[in-house]
Amino acid sequence: MGTNVDMTVSIGSKSLPNPVGVASGTFGYGREYEELTDLANIGAIFTKAVTLKSRKGNAPPRIVETPSGIINSIGLANVGVNYFLSNKLPFLKTLPCAVIVNVAGSTEEEYLQVVQKLETAEEGIWGYEINVSCPNVKHGGLAFGTDPLQIEQLTAALRKLTPKPLIIKLTPNVTDIALIARAAEAGGADAVSLINTLVGMVIDTKKKRSALGTLTGGLSGPAVRPVGVALTYKASRAVSIPVIGMGGIMNTEDALQYLLAGASAIQIGTANFIDPQTPEKVLGGIRRYCEKQGVSSVTDLCWLATL
Amino acid sequence: MKQFLTQIINNRRIGADFFELWLRWDAPAPVPEPGQFLTIRISDDNVPLLRRPFAFAGYAEPSGAVSVIYQVRGRGTEILAARQPGENIDVIGPLGRPFPIRENQKKAVVIAGGVGLGPILFLADRLRSRDISTTLIFGCRSKSLIPDSVDFMNAKPVICTDDGTHGFKGNPIKYIAAKADIDNKTTIYGCGPVPMLRSLCKLNRPASAQIWISLEALMACGVGACMGCAVPTVSSGYSRACKEGPVFNGKEILWEQM
Ligand SMILES: Cc1cc2nc3c(=O)[nH]c(=O)nc-3n(C[C@H](O)[C@H](O)[C@H](O)COP(=O)(O)OP(=O)(O)OC[C@H]3O[C@@H](n4cnc5c(N)ncnc54)[C@H](O)[C@@H]3O)c2cc1C
Ligand SMILES: Cc1cc2nc3c(=O)[nH]c(=O)nc-3n(C[C@H](O)[C@H](O)[C@H](O)COP(=O)(O)O)c2cc1C
Ligand code: FES
Repeated sequence: MGTNVDMTVSIGSKSLPNPVGVASGTFGYGREYEELTDLANIGAIFTKAVTLKSRKGNAPPRIVETPSGIINSIGLANVGVNYFLSNKLPFLKTLPCAVIVNVAGSTEEEYLQVVQKLETAEEGIWGYEINVSCPNVKHGGLAFGTDPLQIEQLTAALRKLTPKPLIIKLTPNVTDIALIARAAEAGGADAVSLINTLVGMVIDTKKKRSALGTLTGGLSGPAVRPVGVALTYKASRAVSIPVIGMGGIMNTEDALQYLLAGASAIQIGTANFIDPQTPEKVLGGIRRYCEKQGVSSVTDLCWLATL
Repeated sequence: MKQFLTQIINNRRIGADFFELWLRWDAPAPVPEPGQFLTIRISDDNVPLLRRPFAFAGYAEPSGAVSVIYQVRGRGTEILAARQPGENIDVIGPLGRPFPIRENQKKAVVIAGGVGLGPILFLADRLRSRDISTTLIFGCRSKSLIPDSVDFMNAKPVICTDDGTHGFKGNPIKYIAAKADIDNKTTIYGCGPVPMLRSLCKLNRPASAQIWISLEALMACGVGACMGCAVPTVSSGYSRACKEGPVFNGKEILWEQM
């Protein structure tokens, strides 16, 4: 069953075993979910953001639940690039799935330094996802992500450092996603991924202050899915490089919406918290849909839609 | 840890404030230790979205069942309280680090405030099964909130009520300061509201009397992946309640930041 549908997806010079990845920040460094799901079925693990120095992250509370969503204010808490290379990559490189390192920084220089260091790893890293869109840090992140000029420059500078697939992760907190996606393409990106979280706020009316340790955080989960689908549609019409869609995917039906909107691949984020088997279930569901629709390659799905 | 669908054996109210849930816990799920917790998927819809964490309150070896003692706090626990025996429920566990018990331990004082009761009952049972002399202290606001359960009464708790309607008048910390016999061989364990645990850790005591506490934090993943459950600690800046915790050595916690 299912052997006749080609599930691979090419990005830049490489190809992913299947279109279902797990989103940065929701799957740790892979090992956390080892006992709960078969990691071999995942197309790509997008790691927690890696920064030049380790980061403690924001003051708690860092999570608050909203209707069909959550707002997080993690603040890019991570182990830092050196520790990542020495302690996290050795496990990741034993996996058959693609390992895509999510890179964050607060200055252009920092992004470059992180990628330079990651390039010293001889094997195990499939590609990079550049997070220019985190709403939870004071400097950088979102600032980069909303300025097309900065995106193009940063992408071009990173392009010189690596032949590996370079994916620019975009924020939905912009007026024109097409402009930003084109800037990434112009800088030499192999793909864009979207959406990162939407800026959101919850006020605790008893305490009369933010329910999070910070004022605002990033909204994710089913609540943001229609935003993600719309922006995936727009971005995919603006560029000729692949678009990796995400935001609120809980099941096959949700994933198919993204693929029909124009995404070449998708990522599962918040849903991993609720059911760690979601990626596996969604992969099976996409395959069955392809069979039913009679397409021989998952990348042909987007041609079925009349949008 | 394992994720699996299991069956509700029993789910009933015990007193005004508590519910007790019994779940089938067969192989291949690892046997839980006191202090560890499980997460429950409350609803197949997206509200409430996240799984809810609960500490194990007991493990019945022959029948392969676990219990949880919980309070109805919001939407999720309200839905849980309405679930019926025989129904299936999606669980992940056991998670987190258990309460440590030393090889040659002789004496323990265990303190539960409100919702902290479950893990402390489980722990007291384990300590006593190892012949460790154990005093169990339970605190709540008033007599009407004392759990109505045989297991609870069998654990011979010292009951403290804030309003003095039953047992000792005052909170468990006041009781310990006034009455409990804590020497340098005593290990103290606590679970309950943060203010109670904070004053527990500030209690005057022999330097070698260790304190272990179990903390609650809002959790998204429960398995160490999201960094959402940060607790401010001396050695790491922040530690994950779901992975390095929920049980911490009292002196590890930066109480002024809690
Ligand atoms: C390791 C661990 C063990 C726990 N063990 C038990 C237990 O044995 N028995 C029990 O009754 N409860 C326990 N809790 C707390 C329990 O998870 C929450 O009461 C529950 O998630 C509330 O869900 P709700 O939808 O009913 O409430 P919500 O509507 O989500 O919230 C109601 C209120 O409870 C608070 N709250 C929600 N979730 C948590 C949480 N995870 N930790 C602390 N406060 C929370 C909210 O801030 C809010 O004020 C434990 C929590 C953790 C982290
Ligand atoms: C707890 C949490 C942490 C996240 N951390 C990162 C991160 O480090 N880097 C990043 O690019 N995106 C991060 N994200 C965003 C997700 O990768 C994803 O873009 C977003 O959550 C939308 O997808 P979802 O609705 O499926 O979760 C994080 C999201 C969550 C919920
Ligand atoms: S709840 Fe996700 S790391 Fe603890």
